[in-house]
Amino acid sequence: MIVIAEKINGTRKAVAKAIREKDADFIRDLAKTQADAGSTYLDVNAGTAPERESDDMIWLVNTIQEVCELPLALDSANPQALKAGLAVAAKKPMINSVSGEQSRIDGVLPLALEYKTELILLALDDHGIPENVEGRLKIVRDLVKRALDGGLEQKQLYIDPLVTAISTGTENAKITFGTIEAIIDEFPDVHITGGASNISFGMPLRPLINRFFIAMAIQAGMDSAIINPNDRELNEAIMTAETLMGRDKFCMNFNRAFRAGKIGPKKPE
Amino acid sequence: MKDLTDAMADMNEDKALELTQKYLDEGESPVEIFRAYQAAMEEIGKRFEQNLYFVPELIMAGEMMKAGAGLIKPHLKDDDDGGGAGKIGKFLIATIEGDIHDIGKNIMGMMLDLNGFEVMDLGVDVPLQKIVDAAKEFKPNVIGLSGLLTLAFDPMKALVDKLKDEGVRDDYKVIIGGAQMDQHVCDYVGADAWVTDAVAGVNQSKAWVAA
Repeated sequence: MIVIAEKINGTRKAVAKAIREKDADFIRDLAKTQADAGSTYLDVNAGTAPERESDDMIWLVNTIQEVCELPLALDSANPQALKAGLAVAAKKPMINSVSGEQSRIDGVLPLALEYKTELILLALDDHGIPENVEGRLKIVRDLVKRALDGGLEQKQLYIDPLVTAISTGTENAKITFGTIEAIIDEFPDVHITGGASNISFGMPLRPLINRFFIAMAIQAGMDSAIINPNDRELNEAIMTAETLMGRDKFCMNFNRAFRAGKIGPKKPE
Repeated sequence: MKDLTDAMADMNEDKALELTQKYLDEGESPVEIFRAYQAAMEEIGKRFEQNLYFVPELIMAGEMMKAGAGLIKPHLKDDDDGGGAGKIGKFLIATIEGDIHDIGKNIMGMMLDLNGFEVMDLGVDVPLQKIVDAAKEFKPNVIGLSGLLTLAFDPMKALVDKLKDEGVRDDYKVIIGGAQMDQHVCDYVGADAWVTDAVAGVNQSKAWVAA
């Protein structure tokens, strides 16, 4: 599982405060704990007003890189902020994200093509998130074509089929699973990523729903996730699903994780 | 008609419709039947606040209310506006510019409508001027600004400042809603109240129009 760790996000209040107050210890600690949990990428979203987002992005990237060598996923809709991040990133980062919204196609996609970065593509456009598989697939198809025409390879693309709350639509999880299957059918070498928590908005027992959702998404073909990597129970669900889907030779990842105390009952300190 | 109120509040859709039809057949006042539905909405709101009910119950209640109204409406006299309950106030709702999240806004709009408000929904990522213009035209009691992102805080503040600049701030109550709202944000924005769920928003708005 390719884990894109989500916690360094300025649209979260605690992180917004840390950015405002230039609390480098807070950010370094977030980077370190997420890296230690086995993340593949660290998402970086400055989440601030456009006039200061570039400076905040640079500060975040530099601060994170003091303690962590993982590649980053620069998370912004603002081309200036992304450019600023690209300039200081030690390893080539992923860009999060381009959707079918015209502003992203015009502003963000050219950067990914120019820098040949990995790129997250979202199945939404200026009309919002389509409420069916066909609508989402149409957007993805167009975006993948633009990316491939621009010189990126399928394996550099991370498609987020998006998920909307099961509380507001009985079919909403199935739309996501169906979209995943349809994308893989058409573009076998792209990655499928996404978050888990939107599915359970407005419901009781949200973590339980999130765990089953992500396991079922893995069955449908998801191989990456934008999550809190320190969520032990979510990690258990992911690891178990991957093992059951035959992606864990001799079950070694699962059993090693057990021996290391990363899944199952916590070992005494 | 407590049995009707209970059936609705307990999410027994078929039974609620059956009882509605029964009372209509027996010649009960459609206005009274409608009030039984509204009493159920109150109860549903309470159960939501107690974490017994969640968003699906609110949405299903909306559907049941619609189905019930479909049965009741043909029995209403022309001057019985909306089941005789009348509209209790006007509410202008929008997700502020810079934010596109609409689940909370939509649920809030639906709940307000079910509770007797006339609702104007401007959609998502709505420019400040459009909200101000709509407010002057629609003359709502309450302006509700929805936003999930911290990025929404500054536009919300800018809207309140704009209302002040144009000398109309005191014509409306302003309420902000979203998962990240708190008193600190409310003070910063200069809103009159903040809420993190639709039921609390409806309760606050009802208190305002009743005052």
